[in-house]
Amino acid sequence: MISIDQLAYRSGLRKVSAVEKTAYALMTLVICVAGRSLEAALMAFAANGFLVIRKGKVSLLRYGKMLLMPLVFLILGTGAVIVNISEIPLDAFAIRLGGWYLTGSRAGIWKGLELGTVAMSAVSSMYFLAVSTPVTDVLGVLRKIRVPSLFLELMLLIYRFIFVLLGTAEGIMTAQKCRMGNRDLRTGIRSFGMMGSALFIRSVKRAGALYDSMEARCYDGEIRVLSRERPVRKKEVLMIGAWEILLVFVTLWSIMR
Amino acid sequence: MTKKEKILLKSAVAFAAVYSVAPISNAMHIMEGYLPAGYCIAWGVICLPFLIAGYISLRNRIKENRKNMTLIAMAGAFIFVISSLKIPSVSGSCSHMTGTGLGAVLLGPAAVSILGMIVLIFQALLLAHGGLTTLGANTFSMAVSGPLVSFGVYRLCGRLGVNRRISIFLAAFLGDMFTYCVTSVQLALANPSEAGGVAASVVKFLGVFAPTQLPLAVIEGLITVVILIGLETYAGPELRSIGFIRENIAQKKEAR
Repeated sequence: MISIDQLAYRSGLRKVSAVEKTAYALMTLVICVAGRSLEAALMAFAANGFLVIRKGKVSLLRYGKMLLMPLVFLILGTGAVIVNISEIPLDAFAIRLGGWYLTGSRAGIWKGLELGTVAMSAVSSMYFLAVSTPVTDVLGVLRKIRVPSLFLELMLLIYRFIFVLLGTAEGIMTAQKCRMGNRDLRTGIRSFGMMGSALFIRSVKRAGALYDSMEARCYDGEIRVLSRERPVRKKEVLMIGAWEILLVFVTLWSIMR
Repeated sequence: MTKKEKILLKSAVAFAAVYSVAPISNAMHIMEGYLPAGYCIAWGVICLPFLIAGYISLRNRIKENRKNMTLIAMAGAFIFVISSLKIPSVSGSCSHMTGTGLGAVLLGPAAVSILGMIVLIFQALLLAHGGLTTLGANTFSMAVSGPLVSFGVYRLCGRLGVNRRISIFLAAFLGDMFTYCVTSVQLALANPSEAGGVAASVVKFLGVFAPTQLPLAVIEGLITVVILIGLETYAGPELRSIGFIRENIAQKKEAR
């Protein structure tokens, strides 16, 4: 139902320690975002692509499609950074509109390109984590860094419920489609709203039933689940460390240049 | 046509093509890596007091009755599902709700701050909407400020005796609009315009996202009305269990 979730469970990197994967993804992310260096961003983008496709066994097509998802935001947002509306034309281009110009400067275009590249490499780091580590493993890492247990239990339950509710919602929406429920915008909105209220009613009932069944199994206000520990391997840690240090050096080099 | 007019026409066509072809996937989530590190941290810090208030409120609710745990989690999953499903429409483009206005009206803004943040984490990890470094900024716009406005508008309309449907519509619509304005300001602060500074940049971002966000906010308002009317008709006990119906009954008494 959610393809990224399926990819994470089937990933070739599933058996690698979640702590390592999370640390790698977050460190790369922070270096890209904080350093804003074009070179480091391109290196991280390439490395993430290699890890996701070759090691994680995600097909190139699928990964490519995922990378296109933030495209609209990227084009609109970067467009707004590059294009200015001003009375004075800037140096790169200027289109006259009455007394005003749609205009941009060379520095602005450069900045926009840099912003887009850094953003895409950050996205690839997040994708690496998303398609290699199932949410339950991420929760295990969060538990290790002592995130409050109420928060973690909520996350665990919400994650579980998402799939139950998605299944119900998809069933209702298919039924509505069969009955011409989405003929035009008006019926579409009505159907979606009706689906929403039916879904809410069912979800509240489900929550009650789930509580009863938890109570029957001695729920005392705390959910304890066993997680499978995957050992942290020294070799991988060294490689991740070396790579991040390299990225930091490239970033520093490109800032000083 | 002069050369410049041609360029203008071409760019307009390209712009329209982007809107119509590309899936409009929750365009108001600020993308991963789009904000500089300082802004990421600053927005996260600004969110903290709201999140702590939300945490305390949720903890108290769960202490009050342990059964609320599953109920609150279910509400969180409900917000996620409602916001992840595409609203089918004839125009071919698909759009999403934010669902936070609905959540704020049903559960109150404090609970929605925490639930909204969890939903945003899952949206980043499962749907690739938004991101981890921009989590603070997105939490502030979608899970804190939008719901606060929704809740405020809803309460205000209740006090003023505005028609229920209109007040629900206004709450969801204005909450959505406020989220969109806050996001534009967040983007503009990080990317001030070369000609005109932050203020000009705010206008640019507002303008660029308006064609997708304005209709979406209207649709969100309408759907929220349909959902809440449906719930009030069929789900008395369920609404009572989350503490929504109390004020509703009070309002009906006033109406008599």
